[in-house]
Amino acid sequence: MTEHDSPDDGVSEQPTDEDPVRADEGPARTGEERVRTDGGETGIVPPDDETPTWSERKERRQGLARTTYEYFERSRREDQDLREESDYVERDVLGFPTWPHEVVRNLALTSFFVGMLVFLAAALPPHIGAPANSGVTPPTILPDWYLYWSFGLLKLGPLNPDLALLGDQKLMADRTFGVLANLVVVGAIAVVPFINKGSARRPVEQPFWAAVGVFGVILSVTLAALSIKNLLPLDSHLLFDLTFLLPFVGAFITYAALKSMREGYMFELNRRYYRLRPPK
Amino acid sequence: MSLERPDDHDHDAWMEKRDFSRVERMYLTVLIWFDKRLRIVDYLEILEGLYYKVNMQMPKSHTEQYGLDNKFWYWYPLYALGSFSTLAYIVAAISGALLGFYYSPGALGASGDPTIAYESLTFIMTDLNFGFMLRSIHRWAAQVMVAAVFLHMLRVYFTGAYKEPRELNWLLGIVLISLTLLFGYSGYLLPWDQLAFWAGQIGVEMSLSIPLIGEWVAQLIFGGFTPNPATLQRMYILHVFFLPFVVTTLIAVHIAIVWMQGIAEPH
Repeated sequence: MTEHDSPDDGVSEQPTDEDPVRADEGPARTGEERVRTDGGETGIVPPDDETPTWSERKERRQGLARTTYEYFERSRREDQDLREESDYVERDVLGFPTWPHEVVRNLALTSFFVGMLVFLAAALPPHIGAPANSGVTPPTILPDWYLYWSFGLLKLGPLNPDLALLGDQKLMADRTFGVLANLVVVGAIAVVPFINKGSARRPVEQPFWAAVGVFGVILSVTLAALSIKNLLPLDSHLLFDLTFLLPFVGAFITYAALKSMREGYMFELNRRYYRLRPPK
Repeated sequence: MSLERPDDHDHDAWMEKRDFSRVERMYLTVLIWFDKRLRIVDYLEILEGLYYKVNMQMPKSHTEQYGLDNKFWYWYPLYALGSFSTLAYIVAAISGALLGFYYSPGALGASGDPTIAYESLTFIMTDLNFGFMLRSIHRWAAQVMVAAVFLHMLRVYFTGAYKEPRELNWLLGIVLISLTLLFGYSGYLLPWDQLAFWAGQIGVEMSLSIPLIGEWVAQLIFGGFTPNPATLQRMYILHVFFLPFVVTTLIAVHIAIVWMQGIAEPH
């Protein structure tokens, strides 16, 4: 709580089952005076007397449903407290007007985008090859470009470890290894938000994670190149090595660059931030 | 003087008294007609409540709050990529539905003869008015959608938008990007030309190489251990029936979560 205007506020804020907060005050919200707005109401509609409070509802329930309602009440109170604690200025006009401003802007962007699509379609129409024939294997077999990276992962046979224990036999077939590699890549992407937490947003704030991202981007490109290795005028062993070397090179360069930018960047950012919100 | 009480619910008399314009009268007549039968007013009240609650969830953006938009922040154009992929998806859905009027997924065995699917494609591309353009639009919409989805993922990664409260949407995004690729792959097989056939071969081999359940997966998705007419049939059903429902639903949930959580801006 930042400031208390009326002395009994702290008391009446306490939720009690016998005496709900808003029972005696009608629809007006208790803490309305403390929410600063740039004029007028906040636009938040408080529940009226007819609406049963969460405590009233939960009294009729048992078991999990009751627990759920109890939690809802807690979270609602949490919201309320956070709203009152913050020095956040709520607005009268809650956003950019939808009509006409937002709608016109969106329609313009949409028609431009669809127009680009149609133009592209007219300029570069697709063609169709010979009909399917199981008897003739074409010289190049390729999926669409966006699956090249996955196709490249299927060609990682040389990385498949063979165990001395099994008499230099491979643990799994090369193609199983390739499919597994696909799953590993997707899994690695999936766990990112559970490893990297916190409020940092810009790459400069976390050079390491930016480097990891650049590693991933370059790896997907080099894997795509690996998948079409019979079309590239490059020694296939060199290509294979480059596939895994280039991502590291890119990652190191990114890390070094961001690390050296970081100092000055953070200084600027902090200065601007504290100028706007001087520390109390 | 009549002993009857004036009827408070005589809406027609009220409308006469109020001297509405023609448009207002038409609108009210329709509204009252529906409201007498369905009591829509109750639902309108719910909608009104939702309206205020939704607006309550949309606070000033971080940039606005701290006056950071005095500079052009170079990530902002990239924030359009998500909507671009949605738009491309809509364009692909419309053009795809039109193509579906003329396409039939029949393969008469892969013995070298042209098949029904291939012939319907040649028909679309050579005889049908606007057909070539239609196919071109559909294909390019798909390409652009995939490209936009990839770039969208990169944008989300490099602006750290996947962090703490948004993990769920990141996971949902991974599911969506995989389904998009599946969409593209199943569509790639539909022309049933050489490329499609041998791409199908790769797909069959990939699923066969899954340990333990590989053969079962190949049977389920490809209908056999080599590309065959059943493969084309299944890819068709995946492409026009199964995936559209699933992907459309997931896109709606994805966008709804973005709406609820707000857009994560770099700061």
